[in-house]
Amino acid sequence: MTMFHFFNCAILTFGPHAVYYSATPLSEYDTLGTSVKAALVYLGTALVKLVCLATFLQVSENDGFDPYQEILKALIGFIDVAGLYFALTQLTHRNISQNHKFQAVGLGWAFADSVLHRLAPLWVGARGLEFTWDYILQGLEANANLVLSISLAALGSLIWLRKNKPKTLIPIIYACAGIVATMPSITSYLRRGLGWHFPEVVGFELFTSLVMAFISWQLFSACQRPSA
Amino acid sequence: MATSKNSGGLRQLLESTYSVIALLFILVACVELCDAAAAVDVYRLIQYDMSGTPFGSRFAALNHHASSLRFPPGADLSRTVLIIPLRELNVTFVREYITQKKPLGGLLFLLPEVLSFKQGGNKQVHEKGKMKKLLMELEQLLVHSNIPYPVYFAFENDDIDTVLADIKKNDAMGQPATATTGGYKLVIPIAEPKKVASPTITNIQGWLSGLKADEDANQLPTIAIVASYDTFGAAPALSWEVTAMEVALWLFLKWQGFSIFSTQTLRQEEAEELDLKVVLKHKKINISDPRVAWEHEQFSRLRVTAATLSGCPVAPELFEGTGGLFDGRQYVNETAIVRGVKLVAESLARHIYGHQGKSAQIFADESSLSVNPAYIRSWLNLLSQTPRVAPYLSKNDPFVMALKKELAGHADEVNVQHENLEGIFTFYDSTSARLNIYQVASVTFDLLLLLVLGSYLIMLFCFLVITTRGVDDLIGLFRRPPSRRVKTA
Repeated sequence: MTMFHFFNCAILTFGPHAVYYSATPLSEYDTLGTSVKAALVYLGTALVKLVCLATFLQVSENDGFDPYQEILKALIGFIDVAGLYFALTQLTHRNISQNHKFQAVGLGWAFADSVLHRLAPLWVGARGLEFTWDYILQGLEANANLVLSISLAALGSLIWLRKNKPKTLIPIIYACAGIVATMPSITSYLRRGLGWHFPEVVGFELFTSLVMAFISWQLFSACQRPSA
Repeated sequence: MATSKNSGGLRQLLESTYSVIALLFILVACVELCDAAAAVDVYRLIQYDMSGTPFGSRFAALNHHASSLRFPPGADLSRTVLIIPLRELNVTFVREYITQKKPLGGLLFLLPEVLSFKQGGNKQVHEKGKMKKLLMELEQLLVHSNIPYPVYFAFENDDIDTVLADIKKNDAMGQPATATTGGYKLVIPIAEPKKVASPTITNIQGWLSGLKADEDANQLPTIAIVASYDTFGAAPALSWEVTAMEVALWLFLKWQGFSIFSTQTLRQEEAEELDLKVVLKHKKINISDPRVAWEHEQFSRLRVTAATLSGCPVAPELFEGTGGLFDGRQYVNETAIVRGVKLVAESLARHIYGHQGKSAQIFADESSLSVNPAYIRSWLNLLSQTPRVAPYLSKNDPFVMALKKELAGHADEVNVQHENLEGIFTFYDSTSARLNIYQVASVTFDLLLLLVLGSYLIMLFCFLVITTRGVDDLIGLFRRPPSRRVKTA
């Protein structure tokens, strides 16, 4: 159950990205380049975040929830949003419709995130003899993250790329974008402040990701009607 | 210029972060995470050859599933390790397994924590006598058998107790642990046991001379007090026999400035004064037998009068009474040792200085020459924490050096002799190791997981195709090949 388990957890963590790419029209329009560029932007953003965290954050001895540190982390987390903005607006894409652009960017973003944060622990840990549920939960978390990234990319494209939006929907769009962007802080609070265990946190993430995806889908289709 | 300085500083910062990240990745790739459920120190059963006949446990490496004594009857145990705590030990069961040569992956005996040297001190042991008897029986059985699988001893602690409780629960459900049913796996990564190259026995001799008067007709011949400091037990790493009263006595006598090298028989008068019963036993010696029952018989063969001080009425058999697993510090009665030391010292003193028959005690309790219990206690503590099986003590072992130094502090002359032990006995190394206990999932679990994941991905695929392209596209994916055939036809 060593390499076999690693293989199982790997397809749980990275499989959905491949499935998403092949199932949706993204593969037909050959948007792989966009996804790759978005992944590179994510790596750059991660580097900048690392530097900022190293400079500004203090390492606390206990694992409790420190509000000031968490606020600081959330502020640094907004660098993510800036990176996404850069990927959506500044990168030159081939003629891809907006619909597909945000999907490709979100996909590349989520894939880079999974590789950076989950591949190394998986390689080192899941191949060992000892069995834990951690790697399966990590895979589920990667799935939730994929959905959240695509939702955030959709909301981002609504905010920055679509000019004529119904006035009433604008605050909702911003609110949803804010919630999705601060998801890392929310999960950190749940884990440290409220003391939730990993399975519960992953369950919460899955649930919220589905809810936010549904809301963003509705918002996107609502915004599409005036232009159509 | 300011901007170039800034950009130079930024570049440096970026470079340092690159190196940090690279280092992190390398570290993560190389480090072996300790992921065992528990890691325990274990001690191997001794492995030796006597005149070519193999004895003891012949293997060291272990990589099998664990099972308790409640395994379902008829189960195949050739790839299972049986974990047997001492409380549940049934020596007849083990004897049956060994003598009938039933296949077994390995044996792990769990000794109560109180016997561990880390505990120290004099803890009260419940059912002391029963446990001691059980251990003695087990040890005799194991040391005299040839066992073709690894046998290890470990001390109970919380981790291993929880693991054992879990294993018992699984066994009670009728599922012995194998590759397909999960459970616990015991792994001891250790090399093949090799022969101990030229094992040596070290003899330490000290000489203290008395006053020499040339015309004195009553000059005493030299008195020799001989004591053995080594042990032999089932687990060489755990053999710290503490019936080394002799060693304590010997050291004490050096301290008081006695001379040695002579013959001596014990006097009963001195014994009565100290309320100890001494019985003199004469026994005929079989000169042709290479084995001697008592230590003094070696001297007697060379026509030197000798006696052995012992608590056993009958001579012990081979490897009996040499100190094994059951000989712990808490079984030693300090006051008895102090009394014994005093007895021998008194009788020696009276013999040497010619005070026979007088009732005055030379080593009276309150005098400056009295036996110091703290001294005896500190040496007993050291002895009870040092495993001393002779072939495994190197020439410069710290314990041997300590004995030599102590003797040198009180005697005039100290000699150290090394004797090679090759010939009849061959010993093998790998006496202690670290056991890793892993909780493993079965292969069926992973197969099931693969099935679930496969169906999940297929469902995800269908869902995405339906929502983004429409149901027709999904059906179209499966219908293309037939339509092509229709076209060509």
